[in-house]
Amino acid sequence: MQIELRHVSKSFRNKGGTLAVLEDINLTVEDGEFVCLLGPSGCGKSTIINLVAGLETPNDGDVLVGGQPVRRPDPSRTVVFQDAALFPWLSVLGNVEFGLRMAGLPKTIRRARAMEYVKLVHLSKFANAYPHQLSGGMKQRVAIARALALQPEILLLDEPFAALDAQTRSVLQNELLEIWELARPTILFVTHNVREATGLADRVYVISARPGHIRDVRPIDVPRPRHAEDPLLLAHQHAILGLLGEEVEKVFREELGETVHFPEAQHVVPPNHTRGLHI
Amino acid sequence: METTHRRFTPPHSGGPGRARVSTPFQQVGTGSTRGAGFTFLKAGQTLGALLVLYGLWWGLSRIAPWPSPREVFGVLIADLREAAFRTALLGSLRRMFIGYLLVVVIGVGGGLLLGRIPLVDHMLGSFAVAIHAIPGAAWVPLSILWFGMTERAVIFTVVLGAAGIVIVSTDTGIREVPPLIVRASRTLGAKGANYFWFVVVPAAIPKIVDGLRLAWAFGWRALMAGELFTSVNGLGGLLNQIVKTQDMKVLLALMMLIALIGIGIDWLFQQLQYGVWVRWGLAD
Repeated sequence: MQIELRHVSKSFRNKGGTLAVLEDINLTVEDGEFVCLLGPSGCGKSTIINLVAGLETPNDGDVLVGGQPVRRPDPSRTVVFQDAALFPWLSVLGNVEFGLRMAGLPKTIRRARAMEYVKLVHLSKFANAYPHQLSGGMKQRVAIARALALQPEILLLDEPFAALDAQTRSVLQNELLEIWELARPTILFVTHNVREATGLADRVYVISARPGHIRDVRPIDVPRPRHAEDPLLLAHQHAILGLLGEEVEKVFREELGETVHFPEAQHVVPPNHTRGLHI
Repeated sequence: METTHRRFTPPHSGGPGRARVSTPFQQVGTGSTRGAGFTFLKAGQTLGALLVLYGLWWGLSRIAPWPSPREVFGVLIADLREAAFRTALLGSLRRMFIGYLLVVVIGVGGGLLLGRIPLVDHMLGSFAVAIHAIPGAAWVPLSILWFGMTERAVIFTVVLGAAGIVIVSTDTGIREVPPLIVRASRTLGAKGANYFWFVVVPAAIPKIVDGLRLAWAFGWRALMAGELFTSVNGLGGLLNQIVKTQDMKVLLALMMLIALIGIGIDWLFQQLQYGVWVRWGLAD
């Protein structure tokens, strides 16, 4: 299902006044497309996810899904959050089953379907384990299975792999791509990792900060499976890093004053975040 | 907006996140998640402290008109062999059991109502906090006025002494559902009654268990106060009789038993609480 944001602005009230988070955002994600939103921290990319999910409403402009304005959360648009946000009192299977239970599916059916998705993310052995017994990567797998079990038309991912080590991240990225090719949900994926964005997406929106606005839209015209060292991919990354470098510098200047100077753009991506992508 | 009474959280409820498990019977010193994870070092330390205490007591009994530990434990064992004493003990336990069941029902039920229905909260919220603010013993006179010197007066004291903390902690728990859990559940289609029963209530369980543990301690105190004043046949009533005989070793033996029951059951609650904390990701 298509996602469209038209002239969307969002600000939050805080102690001192209002903080403009998004300014005049226009973006489109076509049905079945995989789009990444890439930007420095504080650029409002998570807010875009929340708007599409229906967890927040814009101050201005329209958030449309399949041409209809988004008013509230809906199981056809599920979210994978950065810290998994699993229900600690439910087992892996219970978590994956949760949405189906809310939808009122009979127990045997929902159990069987939940088990399918637990298998899909390779956690069959842990179906009866509880979140506190799982590693970060496993929790994120559960979160993905939980979001997919509702067979959503739109899958929203908010920095889902940011807290994981490089190896786990790369494995999960590949699994996500496989799942996407299988079920073809429309994916909106938020990240601050340039390699991740270029490795995964059909198109990358580069968001700039304070207030967030779209700096660049870049179709990644590299066929899959992609290879980390593909010169085309590297060229995209280089171009984006150039753009983002200025952005990050701007953010730091605002936060720390004018004393900080960044000679190179590469600061955006810490070294251990830049490897790991073997797509 | 929050009204003032919601700011009132039980002193032991801790904050969100990795608060410590506090123990009503261990308010001095570190007594946090003790017993939570058994180690030989911890057990050794506890044992050592008990031995030192025993030694001090023994020393005291040599130089002052105090019964020695041996005498006291001897009396306790002799007491437990006596049918009349056991009847009193079982009477106390039975009253505590009935009172505590009522506390669970009234406390959790009342807390859920308060948290779920704003009208009930506005009308009765401060009332629950007021009840919670009155120590169990202070309910005894009213209980006697209503029920006479009876067992029912004792149970009533237990209920009023302990239900408030459960109401308040349940109410707090269902208000403090972690925001991320709220959002995740909304995106998965949880709303209305489903949202309440399958998200809010389970998310509140650690706080509810905290309240139940404290309620045990409060209830046990209230039970003793109630029995002491009404002289019903129970441990509290025995206290009342013994004090007239002025036999210190008998009195100490009884107090020892009261402490041991208090600690023993609190220990069980602590295990439950720790299990819940681990599963809910609040403790390692």
